[in-house]
Amino acid sequence: MLEDTIIAISTPPGFGGLGIVRISGKKALAVAGRIFEPKDRSKKPFPVRRPVFGKIRDPERDSALDEAFLTYFKAPRSYTREDVIELSSHGSPAVLEGILRLGTRAGARLAQPGEFTLRAHLSGRLDMIQAEAVNDLIRSVSLSQARISSRQLGGSLSRRIFRLRGKLISLLSRIEAGLEFPEEKLRKDGAADRRALAPIIVDIERLVVSYEAGRAISEGVTLAITGRTNVGKSTLFNALLEEDRAIVTPFPGTTRDFLREKLVIDDIVFHLVDMAGLGRPVHPVEKTGIARGQKIAREADGLLVVLDASRKDSEEDERLIRKYRAKKTIIVLNKTDLPRRIGRRRTQELAGGSPTVGVSALKGRNIDKLRGEIRAVFAPGPGNDEEVVLHARQKDRLQGILEALRRAEGLLSKRHSEEVYAEEIRGALRLIGELTGEVRVDEVLDEIFSRFCVGK
Amino acid sequence: MAHGNEFDIIVVGAGHAGCEAAAAANAMGLRTCLVTIHLETIAQMSCNPAIGGLAKGHLVREIDALGGLMGLLADETGIQFRLLNRSRGGAVQAPRAQCDKAAYRLAMKYRLERMPKLTVFQGIVAEVVVTKGVARGVKTLDGAVIEGKAVILTPGTFLNGKIHIGLQSYPAGRANEPSSVDLAEQLKRLDLKVFRLKTGTPMRLDRNTIEWDSFMPQPGDDDPVPFSYRTRGRLLNKVLCYQGYTNAATHAVIRRNLDKSPLYGGKIKGVGPRYCPSIEDKVVKFPQRARHQFFLEPEGIETAEIYINGLSSSLPYDVQREILGTIPGLDRAKILRPAYGIEYDAVSPMELLATLETRKIRRLYLAGQINGTSGYEEAAAQGLMAGINAALALRIKAPFVLRRDEAYIGVLIDDLISTGVEEPYRLFTSRAEHRLLLRIDNADRRLMKYGRELGLIPESAWEEYEAKRGRIEEATSYLKKNRLKTDSGDSVTFFEYLKKPEIGLKNVLEYGKFPVELSGEESRYIESEAKYEGYIRKQEREVAKAVRTDSMKIPKDVDFQKVSGLTREAVEKFEKRRPATLGEAKKIPGMTPAAVQNLTIFLEIQRKRGASTAHVSRETRPDDE
Ligand SMILES: Cc1cc2nc3c(=O)[nH]c(=O)nc-3n(C[C@H](O)[C@H](O)[C@H](O)COP(=O)(O)OP(=O)(O)OC[C@H]3O[C@@H](n4cnc5c(N)ncnc54)[C@H](O)[C@@H]3O)c2cc1C
Ligand SMILES: Nc1nc2c(ncn2[C@@H]2O[C@H](COP(=O)(O)OP(=O)(O)OP(=O)(O)O)[C@@H](O)[C@H]2O)c(=O)[nH]1
Ligand SMILES: [Mg+2]
Repeated sequence: MLEDTIIAISTPPGFGGLGIVRISGKKALAVAGRIFEPKDRSKKPFPVRRPVFGKIRDPERDSALDEAFLTYFKAPRSYTREDVIELSSHGSPAVLEGILRLGTRAGARLAQPGEFTLRAHLSGRLDMIQAEAVNDLIRSVSLSQARISSRQLGGSLSRRIFRLRGKLISLLSRIEAGLEFPEEKLRKDGAADRRALAPIIVDIERLVVSYEAGRAISEGVTLAITGRTNVGKSTLFNALLEEDRAIVTPFPGTTRDFLREKLVIDDIVFHLVDMAGLGRPVHPVEKTGIARGQKIAREADGLLVVLDASRKDSEEDERLIRKYRAKKTIIVLNKTDLPRRIGRRRTQELAGGSPTVGVSALKGRNIDKLRGEIRAVFAPGPGNDEEVVLHARQKDRLQGILEALRRAEGLLSKRHSEEVYAEEIRGALRLIGELTGEVRVDEVLDEIFSRFCVGK
Repeated sequence: MAHGNEFDIIVVGAGHAGCEAAAAANAMGLRTCLVTIHLETIAQMSCNPAIGGLAKGHLVREIDALGGLMGLLADETGIQFRLLNRSRGGAVQAPRAQCDKAAYRLAMKYRLERMPKLTVFQGIVAEVVVTKGVARGVKTLDGAVIEGKAVILTPGTFLNGKIHIGLQSYPAGRANEPSSVDLAEQLKRLDLKVFRLKTGTPMRLDRNTIEWDSFMPQPGDDDPVPFSYRTRGRLLNKVLCYQGYTNAATHAVIRRNLDKSPLYGGKIKGVGPRYCPSIEDKVVKFPQRARHQFFLEPEGIETAEIYINGLSSSLPYDVQREILGTIPGLDRAKILRPAYGIEYDAVSPMELLATLETRKIRRLYLAGQINGTSGYEEAAAQGLMAGINAALALRIKAPFVLRRDEAYIGVLIDDLISTGVEEPYRLFTSRAEHRLLLRIDNADRRLMKYGRELGLIPESAWEEYEAKRGRIEEATSYLKKNRLKTDSGDSVTFFEYLKKPEIGLKNVLEYGKFPVELSGEESRYIESEAKYEGYIRKQEREVAKAVRTDSMKIPKDVDFQKVSGLTREAVEKFEKRRPATLGEAKKIPGMTPAAVQNLTIFLEIQRKRGASTAHVSRETRPDDE
């Protein structure tokens, strides 16, 4: 039971176009009645789920703020299961904030971030995964994230996890039945348990791994531009961004600290990092800059290794390429507008499997091709129908589940007693409960009695 | 009345719950009266002649560690002993014994009759005397009024009991014993929530008419493990049990006669236990099964009665005979007592506090089958706890409540009072979150200290326990100090080596001379501690954490209306009970985990909000903590 009525702008800030203010709670209708006046007076009381056109009014000053549509969602058939009013008006921040001010004066309280979703979750309308999906959807930085979030809101990830849970319960009930009813001589069959466990583990592994892609989608892919000094890293950085962001000079050691900018290719977000080039440092600042750059390169999701094609092969380049062999990399041969001095064979050899793209950052030549290559190499893997875990919280729990089940598998294969590996499976089930925010007791017993004819 | 004096505690019903309750109250020094319908059926085992098994055997051990009687008597009157799950780990091993039913009854009666503060009295209690919401005594059908300061009701299956055999039915509390009608009706008037349950028992056959060669003998263990810490000397197996199977012909008879079953014919409304299905249930629910197992168990040494474990039924007598006719070896067996089903009233255990006292009537305690449980061990455990708590209440001492991580008794009572029951409740090891901590090999470690504090454990038993603990400690430190080389060449301590699945203490001792002689029980304890070590530590940490969350304070002035997402019901319950901690909130009957979760979130948010101004409020209101 909720005493207060909350109000918030529910469209992202600064998006222009249309803006929506939502009011939820017992007094939502009363608050709206005070600040909204339908054009057609017969539309009061407001009809349910049908937009009404009218004006936002300041009751004290008796002046109109803006035109708006009002939609009334009656409890419990609303997002929060409370009475909800949606006011859509022009999206300018001034108008929206004006509505908020009027709404709070009329008796609503400003909602805390995520409070609508919290209410929906608490009212049992959403499980925890779905609630998280809503927040993601609202904050989504790209289309692909929005797609995944909206699917999860529909319960796709929850369903998948419930399926896994069902399988675990069924496995556990077989083990428990053996433990609880020894007189029944139910077959003790470690091999069957293992067969049941293996695909569950694979499935969870897949979900855990998908978090990498999920994180890339929700947080973006970090791409570090590395290479010797003066090879044209900053120039390339600017060219990709189509903006003069980094300082470019003919002198080596120009970039000393790193720069980070968002680059969107199709609907994937990349965080492009320009940094100090590798070379003999002259100044202490350069030294720290290089150290920092190396750290960034190590931690980045991918690398653009820039080579100067107008210069002879250098050992330093080779060292660099070797060092990051384990990382996803594109080799960028820059300055192809100048006569080529770098050995074709040698670079290819060095690059191994990594693609090589020749560009001229200065002239903007082949930059589109490089963009395409970046998209192809670094964009997060799974296709549209693959489920992706977007949340660190979800991933942590899944990781915990995975570890518990792997331990169970290990105990099984070493022929430990069943109650021990049952303990791990019980632990995994508890974590699944935490994942979906749901706890149910007695399900294992239910399953035992429906599947096994036990008892005297 | 006959006694001419009044009592502190009155126990109604000398079943397994009532006997333990009365014995505990007596041992704690309270004048106790145990009123029961027949002195001949004190501690009667209404159904199978066995005590123990998984979780139930655990309970018996715990009862024993607290000073109860069931384990001691089961050892004394046992005629076949087995430790179940020997091939598995210590946490899921439990003793089970076939007992001589008549001997058990007599042994209990003998003991009760010699307890100094206890009076045993025959009578049918018709009413609990309640004045101003407090139980003050009981009245019997004979007109006796017995006064007391607390009343413990343990009437088993007797409340409005109704026996069904086929479509015949008649009131009874157990075969040939009267149903308790007046008492049952009074409970409803006292506004306790009463509901209907059912159970059943199989037929008893004449030993001399069974062809024993048709069945597989089931011997007891070579080295029987006793229930009780106080049992001395070797236990002897005196009988064999036998195992057999039903067949397609049996199932055909049952299917053909289902319309004569009171359950399938719709006559029984009570809910029966799924773990004790009647043979009709098994045949209907598992049509693919070609046969069902049963056991033939002697009911005692002197009696010819044989109990068929697995053929519980409430089909008519002539169908029962037809069923026997289909089973080779039983086809000429004589039925001494027919199988029957019984329906009875139980009180929703959500009416109870953790002490088993009712919330509505002070000093009225309920224990055993009346709380919706089934099984002798479950009944005895509750009886013991009710007896202890009634005694403590009269002595104005803090109640004795066991946590779920401390004892199966804790799990049992907590389940009952917080989630209630829908079918007769039986304990399972899987109901315990901390199964690896709750073992028969450490029940004394977990509980004997409480038994001693309560005055239920004699000093001699405590000294023995201390000596045992000393031996275990010495042996463990030896195992942790000495090392051996494994096949793979690693050097590990004996204790580490013991963690390997197929390694027992026996194997380790091949490597070194042990400083002490250990009993089987002590060896099993050390093996469990080694094999479960990682889990034990982890569970102990979890327990500590849970104890912390449960102790999270709920401010006195909290407005539950403000907690998001609570149903009106939950708000009302919180407002009525005003729990002081989250632990208490959780324990409110009918409280859902979701409601408690919402409350937790709310308190967390409040705390975080308060945190920024905390130093201010602390200065101005120093006593608010
Ligand atoms: C037919 C049948 C089948 C059963 N089947 C199973 C089974 O399959 N599995 C299982 O686990 N358990 C079974 N049980 C249950 C088991 O017997 C009980 O769980 C256990 O005995 C309960 O113990 P209790 O102390 O609560 O009650 P009981 O052992 O039933 O004892 C109750 C005592 O109270 C006395 N009493 C009752 N009313 C009054 C009164 N008004 N005044 C004075 N005394 C009174 C009775 O005389 C009796 O001595 C069965 C019971 C019956 C009758
Ligand atoms: N001809 C030609 N010159 C280029 C190209 N890209 C960069 N340059 C020149 O190379 C010089 C160095 O360029 P930067 O972008 O500052 O190089 P950098 O790798 O960032 O150098 P540091 O920051 O010092 O490590 C500048 O004079 C650029 O104009 C290119 O594609 N063609
Ligand atoms: Mg630069």
